[in-house]
Amino acid sequence: MSSSDQQEDEQPQELEILRTVHLRKFYPVRGQTFDPFSRKKKKFVSAVDDVSITIPKGKTVAIVGESGCGKTSLAQTIMGLTPITSGEIYLDGLCITDRKIKPRQLYRNIQMVFQDPDSSLDPRMTVGDSIAEPLQELTSVNKQEIKELVFKSLEAVGLSKEFAFRVPRELSGGQKQRVAIARAIAPSPKIILLDEPTSALDVSVQAQILSLLLELQRNYKLTYVLITHNIAVAQYLSDTVAVMYAGNLVEYGPTETILGKPRHPYTIALIASAPVPDPWKRNLLKADIRGEVPSAVDPPTGCRFNPRCPFAELKCTKEKPQLALIGQEHLVACHFVEKTA
Amino acid sequence: MSSNNVLSVRDLAVAYESKAGSLRAIDGIDLDIGQNEFLAVVGESGCGKSTLGLTIIGLLPEKSRIVSGSITYKNVDLVKLPPKKALQYRGTEIGMIFQEPLTSLNPVYKVGLQIAEAISIRNLRRSQLNNPVIGSDSESEAKKVTKIPRFRQKIPNELKSEIIDWLNLVRIPDPEQILDRYAFELSGGMRQRVVIAMALSQEPSLLVADEPTTALDVTTQAQVLKLMKELMDKVKTSIVLVTHDFAVASQVADRVVVMYAGKIVEDAEIHNIFSSPLHPYTKGLFSCIPSGSKRESSLKAIPGSIPNLMYPPRGCRFAPRCQYVMDVCQVNAPPFIQKQQNQKVACFLYE
Repeated sequence: MSSSDQQEDEQPQELEILRTVHLRKFYPVRGQTFDPFSRKKKKFVSAVDDVSITIPKGKTVAIVGESGCGKTSLAQTIMGLTPITSGEIYLDGLCITDRKIKPRQLYRNIQMVFQDPDSSLDPRMTVGDSIAEPLQELTSVNKQEIKELVFKSLEAVGLSKEFAFRVPRELSGGQKQRVAIARAIAPSPKIILLDEPTSALDVSVQAQILSLLLELQRNYKLTYVLITHNIAVAQYLSDTVAVMYAGNLVEYGPTETILGKPRHPYTIALIASAPVPDPWKRNLLKADIRGEVPSAVDPPTGCRFNPRCPFAELKCTKEKPQLALIGQEHLVACHFVEKTA
Repeated sequence: MSSNNVLSVRDLAVAYESKAGSLRAIDGIDLDIGQNEFLAVVGESGCGKSTLGLTIIGLLPEKSRIVSGSITYKNVDLVKLPPKKALQYRGTEIGMIFQEPLTSLNPVYKVGLQIAEAISIRNLRRSQLNNPVIGSDSESEAKKVTKIPRFRQKIPNELKSEIIDWLNLVRIPDPEQILDRYAFELSGGMRQRVVIAMALSQEPSLLVADEPTTALDVTTQAQVLKLMKELMDKVKTSIVLVTHDFAVASQVADRVVVMYAGKIVEDAEIHNIFSSPLHPYTKGLFSCIPSGSKRESSLKAIPGSIPNLMYPPRGCRFAPRCQYVMDVCQVNAPPFIQKQQNQKVACFLYE
């Protein structure tokens, strides 16, 4: 992990696979009239603001946060689905934000599983064709090999060969998500982005998919970037958790540390608000969190959490806190981190 | 029906009709909701939990019909009541909160006007109950009184303070300002608070909440659930929370009903069901909830999938997926067995 101040002295770790450096993604606010003489500043939604994050190889990093925190925008910029505003992304040492990089080179190594398989699978293509398409585009294998790869990846996600000849509407939600996962693993990418892979599914199906993802990671040595709002899912799948709030990375560290002993006031509030399936421990009724996620158009100055923070002081409204190391691989962006000790 | 129950559902079955045939979304439901009780109806999609909620409130879609059963509220069977008469209870004495507050609020009227309308309808219904005009000889008089007041421009002054009181109760900051906002100007949590304020302003004896926090973020969900739990005692209402999330149920509910494929499989006090789940499906659901990290625990998924309710399995509907299945399960439907004082289960294992 590289915070801005210690980035230079870090030797390149061979274990890292993906790294973003000061990544920014601003969306212009629609509906503003063009007026070059206007003194008003053009408005932007700062969806991702100065995010530097490192994804270690063969591990799962969960990016957690509430809606509007920028976690999906982060995934989209990494996937090259939306142009970035500034910053760099390195995949295995290669700068993928360089314009010379062709999408083909990128998608051979990085694949994505979306939240809703209904919209990520073509309703008119058979499952086999859906899985074969990226193979045709991205690899140089012949037809026979593609066929074998399709069957192999279907088998890997626990579906029989016959599924290759079905269309998505004949499948259940869980089966569709399995197909989406099969399509992602087929070109044997180095890294897979999972954008809320189970939030459209029922708990019993979610359990199947989570077990499958773990099994695939073990068998194929995959690296996952898991985007989720569900703390329990993050805890189950991930090795490292990154917490985002209003476009900023506020806390980063090993899963046990972050979920066991969170230090950023937002992380503390987030974990306290996540319902625990335990009627003897009614944490929710004790949770004391005020307000809601701020608008990303005019975010609060200084620390973006300051209007909701119980520890906020004047400094928090003026100066933006930087990520600082406070323990074993544990980074927190808070001026008064000692208050939460 | 014992006097402690707000609402009693007996042998309720609801079918959706289509060209392919008739599908029983719920089939033979028996349910009692106690006074000031927080009941959670938990199940996966397609288990009939939302249909149950909609049937209680009388909002079943077209092409569906109540096949059998009764819903008794204050000694009146709501199923048999003509729709216009049922309106005296539904929406007023039995309220409802939906999942997506943006679709349950009218987008073109300020939220204050909508709450004003709700309150004036309540006042109207109350006056009707005190001096019933429906069925009286003078038709014109009946028409005059049953006409629902509409507010399009201005909130009547006599209602303003009451509206602000309700908005204060659901902890909306600056209620005077919020009155003049449209739904789209409010955040998700605020909208749901406005909807809750509208529902509670009716002072219902029963509130059906269908996944009220599913569209909300976790920190907002925590606030809204906390609010519902607190207001329950203040307004003296019972709540039926329809949810897919056992974690949410465990945090707020007094009692849980677990549904599977249109049937209630287990009905228990919240602590009982978490300490000793009885039905194999309940047990399966618990083992599906991720808790702890991958190193500590492994999830055990329930094999198979939900049956097609067009052709439900004979006998117990969970039998094809059940690891304890016996011969009898495939022939007969299991009886509802009182296992403990606060725990009932529909399973042959406990006979």
